[in-house]
Amino acid sequence: MSVSRRAFVRNLTVRAAAPSATFIAARGREAWVGEHGSDDQAAQAPDANAQAAVRLSSNENPLGPSAVAIEAIERAFAYSGRYPMNAKPAMVDFRTLIATRNGLKVENVLLGAGSGEILDTAVRAFTGPSNGLVSALPTFESPARVAKSLKVRLDEVPVDDAGRLDLEKMAAAATGAGLVFVCNPNNPTGAVRSADDITAMVTRISQASPQTVILLDEAYHEYVTDSSYATAVPLVSKFPNVIVSRTLSKAHGMAGLRLGYAIGNAEVISKLGRWTMPYNANAPVVAAGVVSVQDEAQLAREQRRNTEALKFTTDFFRTAGFKTSDSQANFIWINLGRPAREFGDACEKQGIQVGRPFPPFEKTHCRISIGTMEEMQRAVGVFRSVLGLTTPTAGGRY
Amino acid sequence: MSLSRRGFVRTLGTGAVAAVGGHILGGGRVIGPWTRDFGEVLAAQSAQPLLLLHNNENPLGPGEKAIAAMRGKLTERGYPAARYSSQAGELAAAIAAKYGCKTENVIVGCGSTQILRTATFAFASASKPLVGGTPSYEECSDVARLIGAPVKAVPGTSTLHHDLDGMAAAARGAGLVFFDNPSNPAATLHPATAVTSFVERIHSDSPDTGVLIDEAYHDYVTDPRHKTQIPMALETPNVLVARTFSKAYGMAGLRVGYAIGRADTIKKLRELAFNQGTNVLGVAAALASITDEARLQQEAQRNAAARQFTIDWFAKNGYKSTDSQCNFIFVDVKRPAKEFRDACRKQDVVVGRDFPPFEKSHVRISIGTMDEMKRAVGIFGQVLGVKAVAA
Repeated sequence: MSVSRRAFVRNLTVRAAAPSATFIAARGREAWVGEHGSDDQAAQAPDANAQAAVRLSSNENPLGPSAVAIEAIERAFAYSGRYPMNAKPAMVDFRTLIATRNGLKVENVLLGAGSGEILDTAVRAFTGPSNGLVSALPTFESPARVAKSLKVRLDEVPVDDAGRLDLEKMAAAATGAGLVFVCNPNNPTGAVRSADDITAMVTRISQASPQTVILLDEAYHEYVTDSSYATAVPLVSKFPNVIVSRTLSKAHGMAGLRLGYAIGNAEVISKLGRWTMPYNANAPVVAAGVVSVQDEAQLAREQRRNTEALKFTTDFFRTAGFKTSDSQANFIWINLGRPAREFGDACEKQGIQVGRPFPPFEKTHCRISIGTMEEMQRAVGVFRSVLGLTTPTAGGRY
Repeated sequence: MSLSRRGFVRTLGTGAVAAVGGHILGGGRVIGPWTRDFGEVLAAQSAQPLLLLHNNENPLGPGEKAIAAMRGKLTERGYPAARYSSQAGELAAAIAAKYGCKTENVIVGCGSTQILRTATFAFASASKPLVGGTPSYEECSDVARLIGAPVKAVPGTSTLHHDLDGMAAAARGAGLVFFDNPSNPAATLHPATAVTSFVERIHSDSPDTGVLIDEAYHDYVTDPRHKTQIPMALETPNVLVARTFSKAYGMAGLRVGYAIGRADTIKKLRELAFNQGTNVLGVAAALASITDEARLQQEAQRNAAARQFTIDWFAKNGYKSTDSQCNFIFVDVKRPAKEFRDACRKQDVVVGRDFPPFEKSHVRISIGTMDEMKRAVGIFGQVLGVKAVAA
């Protein structure tokens, strides 16, 4: 992809080129943040062409919500006319469910219109003129974008050579900061840090800078297979300034439905809750969320499906001689040795949409989301052609 | 104001299972994995449906077209529910078409709540106060306090209309004037001509002050002197009109609202708005409904009849309501709202929260269906100790 999604949308409206439906539609958490697509709503409605394009740009679950979740959504249509706190299940029911499953209380859980709202509002709630944001580079850009718009201090700590967050340097930068944003696994690199490393970082920051809030974004939690990783939720009982965010947008397949949540100490959650919108979760998604978070068999299936397609894609690039990070998410991060824009444009022409550029790696790296195995098989055919690799002979290797 | 909307939600947050319990899906039947860890929560709920007359909802919900559009999203190729979506752009285009403006004049949000909050972020600050009436809808004043902006709350008149002279005077140097018309909870309306001169007065003294006109209840107004201020917002700098699909369109649970204004005004909001607030189902339902004028008119008529029935019942029994132009009434029950509310709640009727400074005398009652209001006045009669006469 040649430019940020936002700029892309703007170009389309200026050039009046025929946009592919899915490309225009991809303005999500994943799409807009690079440079905040504030005029996305002014974009033209997508045309009906190019429905067959494979969208590997926004780290979505290609299969959507589970059948039981869809069933729950349809039942909840009966509550469309009621505010989400009056629907059944209500927002508080979902919060109670999340709390119960984590051995916590309802006041430890806050909902968001996706975890995107949690991330945005955390920056508003916990940073200020004298206490800024510590983030990584590259990482999910939303908190940094808000920090820039609020003109608060921003420290972006480069990831290490393996694409892993440099927790030691982030902890060092955290002293006096308002908020530290820790995306684990990290987006766009997919690299994960172990539970021990996270605990050590949180302990260090809490001792050196007890006022600093640490936001651990576990958007890709359900996809992780590395056994050194574990959720940081248990830390919220020990550290009053730790918040863990989760989303239903990834493994649960509900990016278009907008539900995420934050878990933390009651006091820090209450502070954050003053900044989120009061009725931010819609009635159907709350109903879907209630069944989906309990459907562990479905989540296990989705993890297996993703792991297989991820391995297939990783193997293709590695066999072809490209270096990829050890992704623990539903996307991969590849050093293609060429600009992401150039690669993305070429793939787009052949019906494959890949991730936006992630500065400062926009000249070399590309993020590709993992679709179904069939989609990835089709995609690697296109990648092969774009990268000028020889077509394998029958039974041969890439 | 002692209990903000925010505080209300929080209260519900800790006690809502008991407070709003009742109407369980499928008549108490609980299905699927929902029961696994969580059945006891539902089991604790009463089987008797509560009559919810406390949040100004449309008791009928959205129309069939809206439900069909949502259902369509669940089966559409490409799993739109799983995809980050810019369909709000499509909705913005439909809204723009309806009002004869451009999409750059429209911002869509997670209910008008998001619009109100974002406008407060955009226009108010520690040095630029928020001006509003009292009583009034508190979203903007809550956010103003959050960001450290002073709040100037101007008391309403004896007829519980906003004091436009007082508000215009207070607006000099203010960041934002929040003006709900018709107002909530008082339900009263200022005619179009008064609104126009109100905005002119504000801007003659204080041209940079934003004016946010919340027309959440626009579709319920029956007073012929009313007109939407959308045309003015499209022409006048720093004026916004907020609308919602939560009321007459019956979509409070789907979270879609919008604001209209000049492109430069809307741009100020866009720069600050969290732009993933809307969901594909709500947007699809809104798109299917926005052109359904017939249903909207039907809803307005249905509400007007049930509203008149309820106002008349109170009047006959000696209780005066304001001149409601909304889907709720604000009635002087001559006793604390809490006392009345608690007594109604014991009989499964839920009425509105406290609205200081009127919490000692007035209660806000949302208008349900005619059948619901007939049932409700029976309860009100018992609670007030009047003979439960049929209207």
